[in-house]
Amino acid sequence: MADIYLVGVGGQGIITASRIIGDAAILAGKNVLLSETHGMAQRGGSVVCTARIGEVYSPLIPDGQADVVLSFELLEALRAVCKASKNTVVVCSSERTIPLSVSSQKLKYPTLDEVRTDVTKIAGEFVLIEASELALEAGVPMSSNIVMVGALAGTGLTNLDKKHFEKAIEMNILRNFRENLAAFSKGFDTVSRRNRT
Amino acid sequence: MNTDSWKRYFHSVSNHFAAMDRVLDAAPGSKVLLLGNEAIARGALEAGVAVATTYPGTPASEIGDALARVAKDAGIYFEYSTNEMVATEFAIGAAASGVRALVSMKHVGLNVAADALITFAYTGTRGGFVLVTADDPSCHSSQNEQDNRYYALLGGIPLLEPSSPQECYQMTKEAFALSEKLELPVILRTTTRVSHVRGHVVVGKIVPGPKKREFVKDPKRFVTVPAVARARHLILLERLQEASKLADESALNRVYKIGARSRSGIITSSAAFNYVMDAAKMLRMSTDVLKLGFSHPLPAHLIVEFLKTHDSVAVVEELEPILETSIRAVAQHQRLKTKILGKADGAFPQAYEFDQAIVASGLVKAFGLKGEIAKTVSVDLQDLPVRPPVLCAGCPHSATYFAVNKATNRKAIFASDIGCYTLGVAPPYSAADLLVCMGSSVGTAGGLAKVNDQPVIAFIGDSTFFHAGIPGLINAVHHGHKFLLMILDNRTTAMTGHQPHPGSDRGPSCCDITSVSIEEVVKGCGVKWLKVVDPYDIKTTTDTVKQALTQNRVSVIIARRECALIAKRDQEGAILKKQYIDQEICKKCRTCVDKFQCPAISSIDKVQTIDDTSCAGCGACAQVCPYKAIKETR
Repeated sequence: MADIYLVGVGGQGIITASRIIGDAAILAGKNVLLSETHGMAQRGGSVVCTARIGEVYSPLIPDGQADVVLSFELLEALRAVCKASKNTVVVCSSERTIPLSVSSQKLKYPTLDEVRTDVTKIAGEFVLIEASELALEAGVPMSSNIVMVGALAGTGLTNLDKKHFEKAIEMNILRNFRENLAAFSKGFDTVSRRNRT
Repeated sequence: MNTDSWKRYFHSVSNHFAAMDRVLDAAPGSKVLLLGNEAIARGALEAGVAVATTYPGTPASEIGDALARVAKDAGIYFEYSTNEMVATEFAIGAAASGVRALVSMKHVGLNVAADALITFAYTGTRGGFVLVTADDPSCHSSQNEQDNRYYALLGGIPLLEPSSPQECYQMTKEAFALSEKLELPVILRTTTRVSHVRGHVVVGKIVPGPKKREFVKDPKRFVTVPAVARARHLILLERLQEASKLADESALNRVYKIGARSRSGIITSSAAFNYVMDAAKMLRMSTDVLKLGFSHPLPAHLIVEFLKTHDSVAVVEELEPILETSIRAVAQHQRLKTKILGKADGAFPQAYEFDQAIVASGLVKAFGLKGEIAKTVSVDLQDLPVRPPVLCAGCPHSATYFAVNKATNRKAIFASDIGCYTLGVAPPYSAADLLVCMGSSVGTAGGLAKVNDQPVIAFIGDSTFFHAGIPGLINAVHHGHKFLLMILDNRTTAMTGHQPHPGSDRGPSCCDITSVSIEEVVKGCGVKWLKVVDPYDIKTTTDTVKQALTQNRVSVIIARRECALIAKRDQEGAILKKQYIDQEICKKCRTCVDKFQCPAISSIDKVQTIDDTSCAGCGACAQVCPYKAIKETR
């Protein structure tokens, strides 16, 4: 049983990431439910996907019950903390997408320290990951979503094997498979080798 | 365009599966991950569907998109019809001839198609006819959250309600069989949380059905003049009696026992069933859950038995109290003493979608349970910068709206319509003042212009114009209404995932399409003043809008420029004119963020910059800057 709450901004490849998680679960012989944001909400707005691995009926994750919050954008991690508890690991990309409400001077974009402080008030652990830099190192700048999938796998909380994720990436990513696998590994290693505090 | 290039096009714009198409290629007996909508497509293929039609709309779009991808290889006919009415009529023509037909749409699409569907229940069908309506509780992507189960009641049409991708697949197959057995159309009703859930589906074998049949004439059945209609109504009522018996016996209606024997029960359907099952576990309840998959006509005997064996029964359904009201009527008719709980007592809300917490708290209220629902940590999100959906970087609509605001000095009333361009309602454009439905911009503009002195401008997209804009335009020409209609032609149905429309020069693999010219349609409607502009040319667009507003009759401007997302992807990321802000020239006047809106331009600590990755290279912002500080990168 693992509940993963994925958040970010429309266009960041979150649906693809959640689909890879779903396929990995099926390859591991488990049942899985994903919910996705489509349509109007995708146009650069906040996007939420869920992945629930195990025997559940509803794809939605109740507040406080996510095992992992996987945030593809810094600010969106804060919007997702309602799903976290002291048992939750929040894996957060350092990527920042400035919303218009900030550009129009109405509201302030939080600093990394503010995000970390507010998230750890509620969540058990906050893990920052330089997803775009790692994607660039892997050779495909667009693969930061795959870095995030690697980061999720690296937490060990999905109870899925690395090989299931790798096969699922092959099923879903047509171009630059090798580079995407490298992106996955970079995310995986960063999180699995982190110093736990 | 050949099959491969169509598939590539479709994959590139909608990011669907690529290597193999699991909707078509999944082996019989295998367990695959499918979206609810894809599971419906697979179910239809296994049922031997011959003809499938749709007009795209969230959350139904991926049913059509999946079938569009595989139509040629599967040997079926699929089309993106001009609107839901045409899609339904086309499917009726095929099904009345004896082949199986599927038509899918979002909930409000059925308002458009209802005229055809309701009377089709009178004639009945020969081949299986399944209409999928995907409802949208909480209006994730819609203008209302109407409950389309009412259409089943209104039309006397059998209704199936799946809860999961596996059931989407299975019930689509059953719906075809049921439709042929009863000779009636069948509605398969999903919601966003059914259509847009991806889950494990064990599939079966695709068995192609007949693709051709000879229409056997029977005007006393199929031509609904009043005498025929009166006779057919009685036949429909008889069939509904039969359908009710089938519902009583259907395996789609079954009881789930949770925990120890219980005198309390729950009746539920659709996505609400999932929340009930999870909530009962959260509350550690013992209860019996009667899940209705075949919910109209109501399985009355089954319900009476369930009521008789329980002291109190909660009815848990999203939106309207349709089951609840019918079940209360059954109980009253049978003089049953069972306590029925639901929306009437305020235990469950009538607005918005449910989740586990809402259902758990409703069950606590309804049954007076002592169980505390675990309180979660409350988080104050008030100061978090909001991030609503916006027009994309390079979106031609942004340039159009900037030009219109400049031309009118914001002194105009804007009649808007359904599509990406509706997002122009937000500042800085504030380019929408009235919107009700597809095509409403044109009709409402006439009424607005008749009783207001301000200029009126109607905005409609290309796909929406074909869908429902043309009758309004003819009306405006004929009656001499005075307004400007701007057709925002981005060459696609963008919001729902870039499906083609009658003006497109490419269509699904199985269609030999002809592109219909918007100009010719507009002229054919009798419009005398028509101009075509490129919205990326802001000065010309502004001047043309000014000119149009001096006309005494309806004037039309077609603002034509391909959707930036497609332009960007077709060029494989090779961008023409990426822009940057020369900080030495920039006077920090904020025009590029306060009067223009582009997600690639952001302003932090009073410095405006353009993000190189998101910039689509349209060059519109360079025309917007009063100091020429925005330049092309070299």
